[in-house]
Amino acid sequence: MDAFAYSNSPWQIRPDLPEAFRYTWEKLANSGTWLTGEQRLAVANEVRNAGDCHLCRQRKASLSPFATDGDHDGDHGPLSNLQVDIAHRLTTDASRLTESWLANCVEQGVSREMYVEILSIVVATVAIDAFHRSLGFELEVLPAAVPGEPSRYRPAAAKEGPAWVPMIDIAAIDDDDADIYSGMQRSANVIAAMSLVPDAVRLLRAQSAAMYLEMSDIGNPASNGDRALSRPQIELIAGRVSAINDCFY
Amino acid sequence: MLRASSKVNGEEVNLGVVTAGKTTVSGVAGETQLLALVEATLRRESGDELANARNALAGKLGDAALVDAAAVIGNFERMTRIADGTGIPLDDMMAALTVDIRAELNLNSFSSAHNTPQVHPLKAALVRLLQPLMLRRIRKQFAKSEAA
Repeated sequence: MDAFAYSNSPWQIRPDLPEAFRYTWEKLANSGTWLTGEQRLAVANEVRNAGDCHLCRQRKASLSPFATDGDHDGDHGPLSNLQVDIAHRLTTDASRLTESWLANCVEQGVSREMYVEILSIVVATVAIDAFHRSLGFELEVLPAAVPGEPSRYRPAAAKEGPAWVPMIDIAAIDDDDADIYSGMQRSANVIAAMSLVPDAVRLLRAQSAAMYLEMSDIGNPASNGDRALSRPQIELIAGRVSAINDCFY
Repeated sequence: MLRASSKVNGEEVNLGVVTAGKTTVSGVAGETQLLALVEATLRRESGDELANARNALAGKLGDAALVDAAAVIGNFERMTRIADGTGIPLDDMMAALTVDIRAELNLNSFSSAHNTPQVHPLKAALVRLLQPLMLRRIRKQFAKSEAA
């Protein structure tokens, strides 16, 4: 059966949503830039493990997220303990991460490039799972991994900047990656944040166009992208989700 | 964007609802139902509470609005983690435009706030002065695209 069929849904689901979700599943199953398909799907699986993880719950309740050591719940497949820890922290307690924590991860062997790829998998999975949870759907079964090797492509234009990871400025981008900022006059930080792995931005844009707005509509506060919600209704949801997540941005 | 979109749409919105949640009135149509769905989803409330939130939202704004709302929730579950996971600061213009509102809503107390440098008071004052002109320009652009 097709993934994201929504055949039993009491509500009509816009076709661009399952299209974007199927695209995401296909991308997760294939080898990426720094991880194999098997590793990428294992990261996606950790997002689900994190939801019921005892260690994550203890840490969330602690004054400092770095005060409690232990093992995360679940079967971690091909991932290292550090990769698992990164995936769990990004899923359950991202607002309390720090630059020094990431620097420590790099010292222990997860490069910034690999970190960005893990982040992109976590957020792609979190977004789809939240949609399903919100509408009362079962979580979609993860696809089977496709064999292959990571491309290990690192964009030369990515430079250290205001974030914890290098980013590509729109003025410096190479032709090969220019599509990641298409339709934009400035590279907004939240889009550029994952540009160290350009495919992560491509996946973000594909999901975002279906789940929020097309890039060309985002900068125009009068546009609701022909959704059933007005723009203020959309932004009310956005603001409240951000506040509950303690997200300043 | 809530402030900008409501102003462009000619609506007055109480932005305090973003941090206060269901206890505050925002002025956005269907706010009670929208906020209930957000909170039931993010706080992983029981199946019954989520179902009630869904039914209330669909009843008030329609089935398509419910689906759109769930999609936006998912989208910002993603965007918040990208921002927090990479330590990006607010973009310069956004930082200057939001000095007042961030103080008013106490957003500067969020731990990720320290990723954004303080805005020089002169710059913030200048942007505040220019803000009505910027909104007027956006309104004009919107009117033109509607007419076309």
